[in-house]
Amino acid sequence: MNTPFRLDKHPRRSQPPLASPPDRYFEQLPSRVMERVTSEVNSPVRWLGLLPAPLRTALASLVLLGGFATTYVLIQHPPTPPADSLASVPQQELVDYLLASDQRVTLTDLAELPATAQPLPETYLQASPSEVQDVLDAQPLEDTYL
Amino acid sequence: MEDQEILVKFDDPATRNVAFNQLVRKYQQKVYWHVRKMVIDHDDADDLTQDVFVKVWNHLASFRRDASLYTWIYRIATNECLSFLASKRRKFFLPLHDVGAELTAKVEADASLAGDEVERTLQKAILRLPDKQRLVFNLRYYDEMPYEQMAEVTGTSVGALKASYHHAVKKIEQYVTEASLNN
Repeated sequence: MNTPFRLDKHPRRSQPPLASPPDRYFEQLPSRVMERVTSEVNSPVRWLGLLPAPLRTALASLVLLGGFATTYVLIQHPPTPPADSLASVPQQELVDYLLASDQRVTLTDLAELPATAQPLPETYLQASPSEVQDVLDAQPLEDTYL
Repeated sequence: MEDQEILVKFDDPATRNVAFNQLVRKYQQKVYWHVRKMVIDHDDADDLTQDVFVKVWNHLASFRRDASLYTWIYRIATNECLSFLASKRRKFFLPLHDVGAELTAKVEADASLAGDEVERTLQKAILRLPDKQRLVFNLRYYDEMPYEQMAEVTGTSVGALKASYHHAVKKIEQYVTEASLNN
């Protein structure tokens, strides 16, 4: 070609010479679109798809940062020991729980519990500390095991 | 079915699916070919065409009823194409001309162009244009869309579109002329 190419002299096509889509493509396309649309409507995270891409990225970053922050806070403040947690539970709730559970605990067992919690010698030794000391001093030295 | 009739039926939940099916049937070929001219590959065009209609479904309730439905759908399709090409370039770290080369390779593999050297060179020249300029060229040259409508679709002024089309034609004519002289 020796003369410059002129687009307005070139035969105009209604579209570029590209291969046609597969047979029956346009017959099937509406049902494929409807399938996608209905599946997206039923999706529980559909609202995520409606957000613009930059906002979705920002949201994902925020969730990730939140995860890191939660982990950091949990490491800094370890959970309360079980004994402390138990001490904070009201006594009435503990009683209700024990009576309702399968531990075969009765109200009588619970009533006797405070008595057994006292130091054992106090239940049978009715003497003051000075009386006890006097009795110990009166004992012969060879009979003591101290 | 007229656009207004489709929109009225879409507003009624009982006839929404039927109306949308009619809308897809009415515009599917225009959308498909608009997209196909930009991305060349059928599979890419198929995915994007479906994406366009899913977006139409999601946003049709908020569509201004006094605007043109056809222009609005074209605009969604245009944005989808430009985003797709930009993301492709980002994904593969490709400069502008490499995407053009990739699209050119697809056109060259197309048997329908066999024997028509000028047409093949013309297609190569079109694919070397920047995405937005190629879009303007396609809308004007192939679709013969009025500049006012193109302005609505692309969100660009009529003057800028005329200048863009003029430059695109000059670039194409220069490329085809030089290619002919080299052969």
